[in-house]
Amino acid sequence: MADRPVHEHIKDLSNSLVILSDKVLKNFTGAMEALLSSDAMVGENIKLADGEIDASEVRLEEQCLVFLALQQPVARDLRTIITILKINVDLERIGDLAVHVFERTPEVSYEFLKEFRFDNMGEVAKDMVQKSIQAFVNKDRKLAEKVCDMDEELDTMHRAVFKKVSVELREARADTNQYIIAMSISRYIERIGDHATRIAREVLYLITGEIIRHSESSFEKLIQSLKD
Amino acid sequence: MQMTAEEKDMNKVAAESSATREIFLPPERERVKDGGIPHVSAKNFSVFYGNFEAVKKVNADILSRYVTAIIGPSGCGKSTFLRAINRMNDLIPSCYTSGSLMFYGEDVYGRYTDEVQLRKKIGMVFQKPNPFPKSIFDNIAYGPRLHGVKDKKALEEIVEKSLQKAALWDEVKDRLDRNALGLSGGQQQRLCVARTLAVEPEILLLDEPTSALDPKATAKIEDLIEELRGSYTILIVTHNMQQASRVSDYTMFYYEGDLVEYAPTKQLFTNPRDQVTEDYITGRFS
Repeated sequence: MADRPVHEHIKDLSNSLVILSDKVLKNFTGAMEALLSSDAMVGENIKLADGEIDASEVRLEEQCLVFLALQQPVARDLRTIITILKINVDLERIGDLAVHVFERTPEVSYEFLKEFRFDNMGEVAKDMVQKSIQAFVNKDRKLAEKVCDMDEELDTMHRAVFKKVSVELREARADTNQYIIAMSISRYIERIGDHATRIAREVLYLITGEIIRHSESSFEKLIQSLKD
Repeated sequence: MQMTAEEKDMNKVAAESSATREIFLPPERERVKDGGIPHVSAKNFSVFYGNFEAVKKVNADILSRYVTAIIGPSGCGKSTFLRAINRMNDLIPSCYTSGSLMFYGEDVYGRYTDEVQLRKKIGMVFQKPNPFPKSIFDNIAYGPRLHGVKDKKALEEIVEKSLQKAALWDEVKDRLDRNALGLSGGQQQRLCVARTLAVEPEILLLDEPTSALDPKATAKIEDLIEELRGSYTILIVTHNMQQASRVSDYTMFYYEGDLVEYAPTKQLFTNPRDQVTEDYITGRFS
């Protein structure tokens, strides 16, 4: 059955979201490169791209609102537009967090950061964002569930940074400032993982029609991670 | 309606040839929560026009005092099902039914069922407003008079109450003696609702009641349905899916005579269970 213009329109909106996710991922990759190799060249590009990301996010939201008002979609179409609207916000936040990571870069030494495995954390976070968007494109339930599981891995890495920093800060000769910045960077990357998890859950809503945020199991996980 | 021996045979053949279909009922949990009681209950209920099975072995409970919308493409059997509930199809000679259709435990198609009494309990409003060429007052008083109300004061009370329930009283109270055909289309339709309410029905069948009305008159009818919700069991056939989603508690989706999906409206329009429903409501027509 050939797609009607209205359904082509939904595809266009989905494509805009994927293009936005590419920009965001590129920015995050750039920020991580700058962090790990002290390459000053990427700096301006990251800030320029963030401006572009913000503009794309607003434009996509406007397009979705117009679509809701004029087409009054239902069922799968409604869930798709709502999911795009929500993922759009998450992507914009990931973009902001990438800029935050980048902004911390000049304040710490490259040698100092080697103590932490931020390259690994960055890779896991990037993988989560990529997979969550892939799950959206392919309506892949298993992949979305996998992203939710991966969040635990990133949380564990973040907790390791937290423990290391808290141990080091007890030492009188520690460079407090550097450790606090390392802690912040770890926190930003961990937050990116949280947003990827949100995207994955939004994809699960798109596929199943059920909202699984704050369900019992995720609440128990949260309590457990606080205890840890 | 009496069936001929030949029709009875056809009935039997049709009943045997069609495989028993799934029973569509709102989930038990919903029913307990909402406190609903089935008002109309169809079991393996089919409607035939000659050899053509227009409604195929429907199993469904219509819940008391809820609004149920019936949607589906033209010719899917939705109006046939609606009209079967108060036996409007009896007027079509080739039309007969099989299975059972119960109205509060009584067989709608039972041998001793009085259609006149049945239609008093199950009122109907049609697509095109059809007031009698009489005064507004006489339009409303027509039914009660037919059922034996003679007292003028009692009739006046009925007329006022019915027009108030149909949200028309304020607009016509000073011209009750004027011809009803002088009213606007939207007013005429509300007059038809008032005329139906005058004989104190339990169920209102609305067959595309707003398809001939402008958006303002449509909004008034939809507001009226909202007002009547909880007092009457309302079934509405509509081609306007936004209308179905706005006004109803439950929605039935018919396709080619089958009741494909019957679910709480909020579920059917956000997360339908059936692919055919999904394709229809999202406009993916094959």
